[in-house]
Amino acid sequence: MRNAALWLDSRFGLEEHTIAHYAWVIVGIAGIVQMVGAAIRMAFGVLVDPLVAAFGWSPGSIGIAYALMSIITALSSPLAGYLGNRYGARRTMTAGTILFFIGMMWTSQTKEIWELYAAYGIVFGVSQALLLVPVVPAVASWFRRHLGLGTGIMMVSWSLGPALVVQALAVLFATVGWSEAFMIVGIVGTVILITILLFFRNTPEEAGRIAYGTKKTDNPLITSGNVFVSTQKEFQRYVYKTNAFWNLINIHFLGCVGHAVILVGIIPLGISKGLGPLAAAGVLTTISIVSVATRFAAPVLAERMSPKLVMFVSFFGQGLGVFLLFTANSTLDFYIFAVVWAIPFGGEGTTFPVMIRKYYGHTPMGTTYGWQLLGAGLGMALGGLLPGMVFDITGGYGWAIGLSGAFSLAGAVAILLLENPRRQLIPNWPEMEMTPDGAVGDSRTTVSQTEISPASGD
Amino acid sequence: MKSAASNQPTVVSTPNLQGFEIKRRPIVGLGLLMSSVIGSLAVLIYFGAWASTDRIEIRVLAAEISGLQAEGEWWEDGLIFACPLH
Repeated sequence: MRNAALWLDSRFGLEEHTIAHYAWVIVGIAGIVQMVGAAIRMAFGVLVDPLVAAFGWSPGSIGIAYALMSIITALSSPLAGYLGNRYGARRTMTAGTILFFIGMMWTSQTKEIWELYAAYGIVFGVSQALLLVPVVPAVASWFRRHLGLGTGIMMVSWSLGPALVVQALAVLFATVGWSEAFMIVGIVGTVILITILLFFRNTPEEAGRIAYGTKKTDNPLITSGNVFVSTQKEFQRYVYKTNAFWNLINIHFLGCVGHAVILVGIIPLGISKGLGPLAAAGVLTTISIVSVATRFAAPVLAERMSPKLVMFVSFFGQGLGVFLLFTANSTLDFYIFAVVWAIPFGGEGTTFPVMIRKYYGHTPMGTTYGWQLLGAGLGMALGGLLPGMVFDITGGYGWAIGLSGAFSLAGAVAILLLENPRRQLIPNWPEMEMTPDGAVGDSRTTVSQTEISPASGD
Repeated sequence: MKSAASNQPTVVSTPNLQGFEIKRRPIVGLGLLMSSVIGSLAVLIYFGAWASTDRIEIRVLAAEISGLQAEGEWWEDGLIFACPLH
């Protein structure tokens, strides 16, 4: 495999964007972790009817398990990010894998509703955070430059995951039943996770390699040891003091409310406007497929142009696009909406790692990203709640659509108030000092009191 | 792409960051975040109170038919109390 990659590199003259780099293995692992870790979450809709049939629980009481899981995942995210920074993503994800297995097995044996809340809501909720939060910062540490490219490829799994997993689970539920389906997914998922984590390395230095995009003139970054732990605490204190840290949590929250309303409400809205269940489900599938393109392109463009501009366009488009639904009455209208709205929606959440890199350089981003996912998770929970709540009161989805647009546009305004990403907000993360013979010396920072250099990922 | 990355030292001095300081508090960022939290709570309270009013009205109508007294749940009363528009 490596020889083939080296051959491709030489065949196409790829020097900077080499295919023969272990960073791509890490990106692949991250994509699989995201798909497996989020499998049951993505396919929750498929789970409701079998549980109603098996136990006679109401869909509303089963839905509480999903809401609980979303909130627990959100609340655990900052801790998961911190643990990833402190003990490494691999150990944190291993703990998440163990909880994933316990959560899935316990859920498969559920007899009472409280067990579903404990197993699916709490245990699975924490496992989600431990699996999904540290993996993105870990990928970031493998990219000295071109993080947008790495992030873009990884984020494609966010769209492909639901498409694959929903189909597989639907087949499993129909053929072996819900309990066995949970056991199978739990065992297969755990085996996959354990296997791929064997190949996972937290940092290039840990693997005895250099990060993607490292130039000959770059010194290695500090990634381990006592100084790493103390410096990380010190740098994180600076991060907390920036407006961008708090505003990015806010922006992620607003954007997630905006699209969660649509993702949860589009099928019932379509059906209420006369679409068949299959055609309505096709609208959601279309959104998933079309958004693949911008999930990939947005972080790449963000790195090349400006993450603030790309993020603003995405939020503005997502907010404005939902108003098409006010006039959508036919199947064609809904599919036009799906294509038009999916383009900005795909770019909405994928530029955050690039933005963090621009503002905070190579400072480990686990804690910062974890806090942003707290905002995102709470936004998804609120956005998921609104369509049903509004429909119960008003008998329609007009208010929900309006709120979705308002939240996304409020996010766009908040983006305009972000600092200029061309200016790094805190000092550069320290590099190892190299002696003339190439040996590693003491650590140093590269910032003075009055001048802060641009992000080294630029 | 494998390199001869050296083992990193475990005990070295903390990097010199003396002189760097962020004096301003993150008022704008925190303010925007708090605005969103308050706005979201307002939306939840408004729609929650609306739903509670509807639920109580339905129960009152049913109670008039059956001759029983209808009372709001604690959370319904709480939402209606919290919402200035209901």
